[in-house]
Amino acid sequence: MFRRRATTDDVEPDLPITPMLDMSFQLLAFFILTFKPAPTEGQIAMTLPREVGGQAVGFPTVSDDKPVRYIIKVEANDEGTIKKMTLKEADSANEAQDIGVKMDGYMDELKKLAEKHKGKQPVKLTLEIEPRLIQEYVVALLDHGIRAGFSDIAPVPADPKLR
Amino acid sequence: MSHGSTEKCEPNFTPLLDLVLQLVMFFMLCANFVLEQTSVEIKLPQAIAAKALERSDDDVIYLNVNEQGIVRLTPDQREGDIDSLDNEIQVRDYLGRQADREKRRTGKDRPQAVLILRVDQGARFEKTYAIMRACRMAGYEKVQLRVRRSTEG
Repeated sequence: MFRRRATTDDVEPDLPITPMLDMSFQLLAFFILTFKPAPTEGQIAMTLPREVGGQAVGFPTVSDDKPVRYIIKVEANDEGTIKKMTLKEADSANEAQDIGVKMDGYMDELKKLAEKHKGKQPVKLTLEIEPRLIQEYVVALLDHGIRAGFSDIAPVPADPKLR
Repeated sequence: MSHGSTEKCEPNFTPLLDLVLQLVMFFMLCANFVLEQTSVEIKLPQAIAAKALERSDDDVIYLNVNEQGIVRLTPDQREGDIDSLDNEIQVRDYLGRQADREKRRTGKDRPQAVLILRVDQGARFEKTYAIMRACRMAGYEKVQLRVRRSTEG
């Protein structure tokens, strides 16, 4: 006795996309709302202090010329802001020159120095900073120094015992 | 007279779904990067002269320094229970161990990694300087300060 196998109609599989799309939109909305782009960050290179006291150590230069070193002494208030800045050439008998507290004045003086020694000899800058000064101003001093044309800048404490 | 067919007309959602999933993936990956690098605790100062990290600098160590001058270690930097380094000696010892590991790995006599200090804009110079000195004593020569890049003059 034969029983005929029942034939089935061809059924096209139907994948429901709509709920998946709904869920994806919800995820998308969540990530868009919680997305906080990281601020664009960059680096400022600086010269590290020498291990045992004294002057800062710069990178070796190709030129045999003796480098000229200038010292900017930065005094700070209790709040950590700049109180006074003076400029002096290292090993010079001249008195330190008061350059005020504004960054524009500081940068103008550095630009003059960079222009004076351009193409002649390497110029180094040492920032002698009081310990109270906050990082915001330290970075501003480095930033303006680099923009004025100095590539070898070393921040050190004003008190030689702390170096 | 013939009538139009009554076939079901459905919009094709598949390309739309593809696009949405790509967007979801983009936002998920970006969210991970933010978690990895940014410490909410630290507010960086701004600078115009800041440059992007050079491609040749493969080995980079980040040190997050908060307003009090304490180094906060990220979860992948932690050694045991220690999650912060409170003074110069602790920083020097920690970096010394990192330097030893790197020297063993590379076979060089000095660590070649670039140290990037992410120092809060309110931290005092005495604290920052102590960390810089510790970096030097641990043998690191390439130290850079991390800042927010600004375009304002």
